Amino acid sequence: MVVMKAMGMESDQEVVQMVGRDPRYSALLMPSIEDCAKEGIHKQEQALAYLETKVKRFSFAGASSENDGRVMTVLQDVFLANVEVCQDNFRPKCIYVAVMLRRIMDAILNKDAMDDKDYVGNKRIELSGQLISLLFEDLFKTMIAEVKKAVDNILTKPSRSSRFDFAQCIIKDSITHGLERTLSTGNFNIKRFKMDSKGMTQVLARLSFIGCLGHMTRIKPQFEKTRKVSGPRALQPSQWGMLCPCDTPEGEPCGLIKNLALMTHVTTDEEESPLISLCYCLGVEGLEVLSGEELHTPYSFLVLFNGNILGKHRKPQHFAAAMRKLRRAGKIGEFVSVFVNEKQHCVYIASDGGRVCRPLVIADKGISRVKEHHMLELKAGVRTFDDFLSDGLIEYLDVNEENNSLIALYEEEATTETTHIEIEPLTLLGVIAGLIPYPHHNQSPRNTYQCAMGKQAMGNIAYNQLHRMDSLLYLLVYPQRPLLTTKTIELVGYDKLGAGQNATVAVMSYSGYDIEDAIVMNKASLDRGFGRCIHMKRYCAVNQKYDNNTQDRILRPNRDGFDSGPMRVLDDDGLAAPGEIIRRNDILINKQVPIVTRGQFKSALNDSEFKSVPQRYDGPQGESCVVDKVALCSDKHNNLCFKFVIRHTRRPEVGDKFSSRHGQKGVCGTIVQQEDFPFSERGICPDLIMNPHGFPSRMTVGKMIELLGGKAGVSCGRFHYGSAFGEPGGHADKVEAISETLVRMGFSYDGKDFIYSGITGCPLQAYIFMGPIYYQKLKHMVLDKMHARGSGPRVSLTRQPTEGKARNGGLRVGEMERDCLIAYGASMLLYERLMISSDPFEVQVCRVCGLLGYYNHKLKTGICSSCKNGDNISTMKLPYACKLLIQELQSMNIVPRLKLAEA
Amino acid sequence: MEGKSYQRLPRVKIREMRDDYMKFELRDTDASVANALRRVMIAEVPTVAIDLVEIEINSSVLNDEFIAHRLGLIPLTSDRAMSMRFSRDCDACDGDGQCEFCSVEFHLRAKCHSDQTLDVTSKDLLSSDHTVVPVDFSDSAGMESSEQKGIIIVKLRRGQELRLRAIARKGIGKDHAKWSPAATVTFMYEPDIRINEELMDMLTLDEKKAWVESSPTKVFDFDPKTEKVVVIDPEAYTYDDEVIKKAEAMGKPGLVDIIAKEDSFIFTVESTGAVKASQLLLNAIEVLKQKLDAVRLSEDTVEADDQFGELGAHMRGG
Repeated sequence: MVVMKAMGMESDQEVVQMVGRDPRYSALLMPSIEDCAKEGIHKQEQALAYLETKVKRFSFAGASSENDGRVMTVLQDVFLANVEVCQDNFRPKCIYVAVMLRRIMDAILNKDAMDDKDYVGNKRIELSGQLISLLFEDLFKTMIAEVKKAVDNILTKPSRSSRFDFAQCIIKDSITHGLERTLSTGNFNIKRFKMDSKGMTQVLARLSFIGCLGHMTRIKPQFEKTRKVSGPRALQPSQWGMLCPCDTPEGEPCGLIKNLALMTHVTTDEEESPLISLCYCLGVEGLEVLSGEELHTPYSFLVLFNGNILGKHRKPQHFAAAMRKLRRAGKIGEFVSVFVNEKQHCVYIASDGGRVCRPLVIADKGISRVKEHHMLELKAGVRTFDDFLSDGLIEYLDVNEENNSLIALYEEEATTETTHIEIEPLTLLGVIAGLIPYPHHNQSPRNTYQCAMGKQAMGNIAYNQLHRMDSLLYLLVYPQRPLLTTKTIELVGYDKLGAGQNATVAVMSYSGYDIEDAIVMNKASLDRGFGRCIHMKRYCAVNQKYDNNTQDRILRPNRDGFDSGPMRVLDDDGLAAPGEIIRRNDILINKQVPIVTRGQFKSALNDSEFKSVPQRYDGPQGESCVVDKVALCSDKHNNLCFKFVIRHTRRPEVGDKFSSRHGQKGVCGTIVQQEDFPFSERGICPDLIMNPHGFPSRMTVGKMIELLGGKAGVSCGRFHYGSAFGEPGGHADKVEAISETLVRMGFSYDGKDFIYSGITGCPLQAYIFMGPIYYQKLKHMVLDKMHARGSGPRVSLTRQPTEGKARNGGLRVGEMERDCLIAYGASMLLYERLMISSDPFEVQVCRVCGLLGYYNHKLKTGICSSCKNGDNISTMKLPYACKLLIQELQSMNIVPRLKLAEA
Repeated sequence: MEGKSYQRLPRVKIREMRDDYMKFELRDTDASVANALRRVMIAEVPTVAIDLVEIEINSSVLNDEFIAHRLGLIPLTSDRAMSMRFSRDCDACDGDGQCEFCSVEFHLRAKCHSDQTLDVTSKDLLSSDHTVVPVDFSDSAGMESSEQKGIIIVKLRRGQELRLRAIARKGIGKDHAKWSPAATVTFMYEPDIRINEELMDMLTLDEKKAWVESSPTKVFDFDPKTEKVVVIDPEAYTYDDEVIKKAEAMGKPGLVDIIAKEDSFIFTVESTGAVKASQLLLNAIEVLKQKLDAVRLSEDTVEADDQFGELGAHMRGG
């Protein structure tokens, strides 16, 4: 109320009128009006004076100068900054406040009127352009401020020697550096909005084609994900068709990180003024001509444009219809949304950026505007998607406007009320979930798991994959196109850059090496190239230049004598030659570094002034890899840079991870000879055997249908489809039809085969469900993870073995393992593991003072440094870490004393 | 252990025989023998396949290992394989596998000079031994022999070149599938189908037709003249139980009685072309005999080792 008064609304009656004359509203407004009266605030000046005491002292240079106007400036510039104040006219702001108050009271009186902050229509997605413009604005402003400071500094100086040159005050490249820094670190730091978020720029994941695509559709929320609220993580009904319901990571960011659906479009800003004038032309009554009372007359709706109140309209539906007609005709932008909110008596028009929207087929009274001949034209290539848009057959709806439409899923289901028809139900999923055949038959978390796993699958990553110099690259030797495809796969191009192979899978138990989702693989299949992959890794070396004009040099390898073995792969130029077979510890580059790299300027160096620092290949032991290619380039500092790509072809081995497209991952449990594998009388022998226990709890019915469809596909020679919810639209083959095909091709309708055991030759007791399933090889391979060590490096501080495979570390006997040993009473084993094999250390302990002494090598006795003699010294073994602890405690003025007793 | 003899005298009847395909009946024996034959054909009949590749120039899009792997999988005519030596047992060359007794050398030189892509096929592999050459499929296919160009190894674009030397060695499918001479070896139990005519006569025409149709494979047929259901192809039966289920559904259990004959098998053998299908069978029997000999010899003495060397020990080891 005070604020209203401060803005010039002195009459209580006017305020109440503006809010609405409903007695319930006035009752809620009453306390504030009374408060006002109590404080004696009646006039604008009184209100301003009252607010003055509340306003914090800002350090604004402008505001502090004119003291009394501070509240005014705050009200003008800060308070509801989106509503413009022209010539001290606070009326629009007052109306805005009144509408806000009305909404608040609505929410108090009626919980249903509450807005949902997780509602997708209330969210905006920031795109790179907006972020960069924001960043630029910030950088530009800081630059201006700095320049101003510098200029002030110079100009205030009484005596200036040189002529004032403005150009010199500008710090060069500050914007460039700022942009570069932000882009390279990903840390956005915008002071004006106190925005400080990390990971805003990410290096595009290029490990797999699908991972790359998936990365580009990812949406990350702004707020931190530590809060344990379920609201923003939950699946919102309003995200239908806009955000993929399946594709979200597991664990901490679950439900927060989202992915766009297939047809989603994120809008960009559109110019406002033509749209505003258009609104007025279409009969919107401006705010200026409206009294407070008139604002809320029934049957007239407020018109809000991008959050600003434009005015009101008496025939909202007509207005909305007119706007939509204009949009369909292409007179206004296709992403402008018109939304009539009946509940709030508002018409929202939005042209701002960051809204998500999607295309839908327009239907008139339930009859689709897209007709047969349009589709034929599309097929003939005469018509494109944009033509559909410009001809008003298809339009983009954002989440809000969707609420004004009745969307039929299929044309057949449309009634006379229907305004739109869904283009294809499969588009409600994202790119990655679109790869799953029959996802609508799977238990939903399985699809989510597959979305996480599809990104790890090996295959092709791009058409230029062999020319790229990626730091790590996994390729499949014989990638295949899935036998059971979806429309999404075709749209995305996964059928051309696949990441998997169609394996003939028998669902049966075999050998006991298939428990816990392990799979049994056929050795002959592996011999013939199933699951074979190429692993390429890049190694870098720099020919460094130093300050003293010296630089590294690369020498010809010495072909005989010391080191000639590891130098085998080197060419005459001292670099590893492409095509050479390279083993662990072979030298990649025969480099020498000058011993003195600092200080005086030097010209030519002798051989003795160099030390040899060859870079060795640290690949897996016992494997033979090949130097794939070598590239020379110069880096940022103009040093010569060498890049080696080492290629390693791997065949699957026990422990490698495989997965179908239904979130069913498993490791290879054992590899079995072909003759031991079961076979059918047609001579079909599976490539892999999967344990049937994988099915009941996972409920991946989609996988079973994939098997059936794949089997029908190979036998009849047609790729079958399994698009999401595609059965009615003909984009997914029905099980019935598949069974018919199977029977026609002489198989059993249920996909089960009569199988003989390869070991005995006898028929198996049961019919075996067998057919092709698209299997992906995941990038987790045993070879990269396998690690063991005997003795090896230790950490210098604690003298305990190092940690991790990269540092050739030991395997830790952890807390729980220790507990087991204690419980078992295996004290000697415990002693050995925790001390002998870790960090044993011999200490001299003084029996009198209990402190650690030292061993004097001259006197050949231990001496206690606090007792200054060696009379009562005992020698004992201790973990070095314990000795360290004792000494660290001593350094903190705590004296741990050891009391020794005879054992 | 003297006593009853379990010896049986199996009979083989060849039904169909082509170079790369053979179908025969094996009667009067057990599943163990049939399966042993199948296993040996897949895994233990020796053939010759490229085992060692030295690449001189490779500017193709496929990498060296890739090409080597593809070369290895090309079937080579291996009629001589039975008499060849394993390179590990070869006395003539200390096991490095480069002598005429245990290896065959191949050369491949291809360069694309035209703007069209050049298909490098198995025909471009030049053998040092005319008995061991890449399998030629043109003669067996017969018709369009001019079009048959062999197995594509790699495609070259203008300026790309491939030059290599490859050594083929003898081996068995157990070690690597490339040495397996069999594309498919499978057998089925011969089904014995007996229609209960009494029950069958009780069915109406439509029921009979429906029953015939219920089998996914064409095993039965309905003869419109005699109005009887006849078994036209018992071997098409896939033991799918469909007809039995159908009969039960029609309320006539026991309409048909199908049992697998425990002692007769129908074999289907498809060869990769390395050895003729018929020869494959003979070789398999030969290998099987050798294995049995090794077992018999090892029964009484270890001296057999002297005679059979590593092979004997290997056989005993399993």
